[in-house]
Amino acid sequence: MRDGINMARRSIPTVALVTSEFWPQGDFVAGAAGMPDIPRLQLPHPVAGSGHDSMSELADEIAPRLVALLQSSSEPDNQSDSANQPA
Amino acid sequence: MSILIEAESEAAALEWLHENGRTDGLPVIIPTKERVARMALASGLDPALSLGAMGPGGGDTTVHAIATNAVMAGCLPDHMPVVLAAIQAMLDPAFDLPEMQSTTHSTAPLLIVNGPIRQACGIASGFGALGPGHRANASIGRAVRLCMINIGGAVPGVSDMALLGHPGKFTFCLAEDEEQSPWPPLHTSLGYLAEQSVAVVVGAEAPHSCIFQNDADDPTSADRLLRSLAATIANLGSNNAHFRRGHVVVALNPEQANVLHAAGIDRAEAQRRIHAAAVNRQGLLAQLNPAFVRPGADPDVLVHAVHAPEDILLFVAGGSGLYATVFPSWAAGAHANPVVHHEIVTDQACEIPGLSYG
Repeated sequence: MRDGINMARRSIPTVALVTSEFWPQGDFVAGAAGMPDIPRLQLPHPVAGSGHDSMSELADEIAPRLVALLQSSSEPDNQSDSANQPA
Repeated sequence: MSILIEAESEAAALEWLHENGRTDGLPVIIPTKERVARMALASGLDPALSLGAMGPGGGDTTVHAIATNAVMAGCLPDHMPVVLAAIQAMLDPAFDLPEMQSTTHSTAPLLIVNGPIRQACGIASGFGALGPGHRANASIGRAVRLCMINIGGAVPGVSDMALLGHPGKFTFCLAEDEEQSPWPPLHTSLGYLAEQSVAVVVGAEAPHSCIFQNDADDPTSADRLLRSLAATIANLGSNNAHFRRGHVVVALNPEQANVLHAAGIDRAEAQRRIHAAAVNRQGLLAQLNPAFVRPGADPDVLVHAVHAPEDILLFVAGGSGLYATVFPSWAAGAHANPVVHHEIVTDQACEIPGLSYG
């Protein structure tokens, strides 16, 4: 999350990837940094250690959403109605 | 930012503090305006003075805010300079406090106090110094934690992501037993004069016991002690073993320190020999956590659990007997979990009209 904030502060288009277990922390850190609306996408938890196939599947799923978000043609999870419901 | 709340009684105020996440879960002294003003006075500083933002929440660390938490923790005004210096040390960017507060690892700032302030405040360094029953240790360490909660914004599972935490996250403060140590005080190894008082802080796990039976007839006793400490530092479950960085803390009890001293080993030599022996075979590390070992790395290479001998913070505390104590560390953050320190300034306090809480 902090990496994303630091990139956004350098005016680099940024989307932070946050797992469901850490979704509240993402909200907290974004708010504390004064960037509560920094775009975030929610990943299932855990990602690390979930295995090559699982991570590859997740990457395939998330990449188009990531690109769309960077092109401002979709809405990040932290601004959608169904978001902010950590697992 | 400070807030002023009104309550019909201290009991009601306490419930408000509990309900709003302003305590560590235990009852606190209600920080009335008068109590906070008296505590702030003991710092000798302007209560409005800001020492910086405290992460991860970025709260403004004013002297007033620190005094408020010191009152809540049960500190006496005499304790305030120690709390202040500890917080000043922790706000050093090298300490990576925002990240340390946020990590999933079980880490907490361990505060070691050196110098004359130990006697002035009654900070214990002997039997059970990290346990219950020592007012100064308990309340100073607790004040640091309450600052981390109320100024830094640490909330379990939201901004403090420690998976389990450890009891040192309530309070984690002791003094060095300078009088029984055969070596110069710890803070002199950090560049201070012996007559200065200093708060030394390092992020640390809970204490790990290290058993060692001395034998005056055994010429290898000192070496056995050093290797026992090294084995405890290099334990294969620790972050240090796998990340190969971060400071670790070793508390030798006076008897053990004197075993080393009698063998002609000073602090620097002890650090050097512990560092040399605190190693693991890379292949063994790779078997347990391959994610932290570069693919193709030579399995027979011995890797050190800490980067350099001076990364082992060695001091004397505790009652004499079988056990030394090792505090492994988080070993992460941009600055790799370093030791920070700050002088405790004791000659700036104003006259305080009575020490009892009004």
